[in-house]
Amino acid sequence: MDLLIQQLINGLSLGALYALIAVGYTVVYGIVQLINFAHGEVFMMGAFGSYTTWMLMGSPTNLSIGVALGLVLPAMILGGVLVSVGTALLMERFAYRPLRNAPRLAPLISAIGLSIGLQEAVRLFYGQIPGFPDSRRAIPFPVIEGLTGRSIQVGGVTIQHSAIFTLGALLICAALLWWFVNKTRMGRAMQATSQDADTARLMGINVDKAIATAFAVGAALAAVAGVAHGLRYNNIDFQMGFMAGMKAFTAAVLGGIGNINGAVVGGLVLGIVEAMATTYIPGQFGSSAWKDVWAFAILILVLVFRPQGLLGAKVVDRA
Amino acid sequence: MSTLHEFLSRWAGPARWVGLGGAVLVMVAAFLPWAYLPAALDNVTYYGEPSILQWLGFALGFVTAACLVASPILAAKASPRTRRLLNLNRGATAAATASLVYQAIAAIAVALELGGLITLEPGAWLGVVGAAVAALATRALHAGSDARLRYLPTPAWAQILGIVVVLALVLVAAAYGLGLEDPGAFVAFGTFCGLAAWVLARVGIMGWISAAAAANRSALVLASFVVAFVFPFTQNGSDANMSIAAGVLIFAATAMGLNIVVGLAGLLDLGYIAFLGAGAFTAATLSESAFATLGWHPPFPIVMLIAGCVSALLGLLIGSPTLRVSGDYLAIVTLAFGEIFRITMNNLDGSDGPNITRGSNGIPAIPNLDVFGFNFGESHVIAGFDIGRFANYYWLLLLVLALIIVVFVNLNKSRIGRGWVAIREDERAAEAMGVNVFGLKLLAFAGGAFLAGVAGSVKAHVDVSVTPDQYVFMESAFLVAGIVLGGMGTVGGVLVGAAILKLLPEKLRFFEDYRLLLFGLLLIVMMRFRPEGLLPDQRRQLEFHAEDDELAEEADAQALPDLATAGAALSATKEDRA
Repeated sequence: MDLLIQQLINGLSLGALYALIAVGYTVVYGIVQLINFAHGEVFMMGAFGSYTTWMLMGSPTNLSIGVALGLVLPAMILGGVLVSVGTALLMERFAYRPLRNAPRLAPLISAIGLSIGLQEAVRLFYGQIPGFPDSRRAIPFPVIEGLTGRSIQVGGVTIQHSAIFTLGALLICAALLWWFVNKTRMGRAMQATSQDADTARLMGINVDKAIATAFAVGAALAAVAGVAHGLRYNNIDFQMGFMAGMKAFTAAVLGGIGNINGAVVGGLVLGIVEAMATTYIPGQFGSSAWKDVWAFAILILVLVFRPQGLLGAKVVDRA
Repeated sequence: MSTLHEFLSRWAGPARWVGLGGAVLVMVAAFLPWAYLPAALDNVTYYGEPSILQWLGFALGFVTAACLVASPILAAKASPRTRRLLNLNRGATAAATASLVYQAIAAIAVALELGGLITLEPGAWLGVVGAAVAALATRALHAGSDARLRYLPTPAWAQILGIVVVLALVLVAAAYGLGLEDPGAFVAFGTFCGLAAWVLARVGIMGWISAAAAANRSALVLASFVVAFVFPFTQNGSDANMSIAAGVLIFAATAMGLNIVVGLAGLLDLGYIAFLGAGAFTAATLSESAFATLGWHPPFPIVMLIAGCVSALLGLLIGSPTLRVSGDYLAIVTLAFGEIFRITMNNLDGSDGPNITRGSNGIPAIPNLDVFGFNFGESHVIAGFDIGRFANYYWLLLLVLALIIVVFVNLNKSRIGRGWVAIREDERAAEAMGVNVFGLKLLAFAGGAFLAGVAGSVKAHVDVSVTPDQYVFMESAFLVAGIVLGGMGTVGGVLVGAAILKLLPEKLRFFEDYRLLLFGLLLIVMMRFRPEGLLPDQRRQLEFHAEDDELAEEADAQALPDLATAGAALSATKEDRA
């Protein structure tokens, strides 16, 4: 029983990470019906942004818990958000917006280009900044006192502090996002644009701005995920966006792409399934080497049997 | 820009003389040294003895001058019909601009290789300045209308002769370019080839060549195949270049298969490399290698078929569920499938799964092919020429590529191909018209996979070892990049794209580290400015430039070449009368 609860918690915290990234796919897809294939790289840029912020603060170590959690961590999150939002906005403006009326293959190929380009740019140039570590290898993520390496024991179950951080971040972000989408003018403009961009434009909504906002919102959450990823795995590297992005996309499809609640549910479900698969599938196929295969198998199964996802989505069929 | 042009066009008369002066300077510059030391380019340090690259610079200057001189003569003496066959003013502008680009690249290459502008000798400066003067002055010429040489009725033998000459030039250029050791020289030469093609297009000669090619398809195909076939003889038994050439052919064959899926049927497959990998692993496990895990060693032709079928089966397996959800989903699902393939190959190592692929070690020491007593590993002497291991495989790959091209072209022209294009353009409309959408998509997917499997079975033997990390997502992305670069849905485009993407990193080692970054940027820039690729399919070009009427007319003319020729001749005579 302890094992089940332990794996449930592991799965939830992993799933929260996926969910934070998945929201970015789903928000953008919902508004422009575009799979922002380079979203994984936005997540990676967020992680590197937060690391850069930490370096710029003079790489503080051995802080008191209060300073670490009250000052350093928020600053890192903010720095990561700035970088990832900037990346996403530039991407939208210069790579996607000119292709909005192009055949559907064009933005997708552009996105692959962006994805490769961003990874390589970080790999080649990040380490060239004087004083910064070699970005060709994994970079150890800063130790945040009170979070890194700490855990609490509840019965036979171990809960990492980073897991609590990730889940908490997901809760806060989801609440903020709900408020933003439903209660602010810009959020309602986004909803209107996603329903019918042409009519929204006729109603005086700045559609370009709404679309850019969707990219920015997704990027901000991805940056939070970037920090959570760094805390969870204790390092970051230029390739981290690829697999995480794929999993998050799977989560978005699982929940129903275009549906924000679906992205959150899909992320959590995917995380739990992955954790359970490595524990309960017997024999050689239960080893952790296969867990990515199971995640992608779920993606394919969902597309076969329930292409609209668990919670359903407004837009499913896009030829 | 337009005001500059208006200003210049008032000076069209004097500009011709100024341009001529610039062109002469370019020609003179070829006889002067360009660099201080012989290490840069192909030794451009002599007075009065131009190197080959300098002769090429001379040629561009000469073409500029010739166009400038001939244009007014033609205008004065020739009949209106003859006059409009070539557009020499446009040719002069293009040649002068090409000169400028070429001279500048040569100068930059020298400066980079020898360390600084100080290493440039007067010839380089004179060339750049002369070309700049000519390029600016020729902008003042009246551009005139499109050359009509392509509509000139030409006897078939002359057209075939033209095709043969062009292909012979291509062969010479390929042999020469591959032989260049110096990266600067390689870049300069590659740029020259591109510029020369562009100048020919502007003058109107390229139009004639493409019309000739369209009218004599079979001659073109035969001649290209012969040229590709004799290529190993130009290499004097050098296996280094042949291994590059074999790599290009593997890439081209795989990309051609992918082109059926992406270019014709419009299904973006981001896991295509997995099918190549499936073929390679099948061939490896069935090979005579001591590490092969299956005890069965059938002869290679059968292995080839099995490899193709295994890949096709995988294609069906992945295609049948996912092809129902169309579009963007498919791209991601195929990507996921590619990852599943790679991880599975890594895990079938005996500890995480049954031992089939030996995990990340892969299957090494795959022996050379021995088909009907012909051992591909041995060197042979044919007509006094040494033919090494890679040349043998090159020919085999050429056959595989030819097979794939034949399949591609025939499918493209068949009912199936038209069905695919209809699906690509509008799936619902196609379905409403009675096209079996799902069946055709599945056929494209499985067929493409089959061809990749066949190519993979050869690749296993060429590469000697097969490991999972040869079949990662980046390779799939490269294949897509090759197709996008060349032009989706065309044979020539894919060949050009494959050649560029494979040759550049092989020849430019210094650029190895940056190649991925550049390819990423290339994809973005191509999608932004020329999404139809370098050698586009007419129909696809239209798709991307729907508002361009001129292009639409041209496409119509291409679609019905005979009628168009007749019509154009008619309209030309009409205009002449008016």
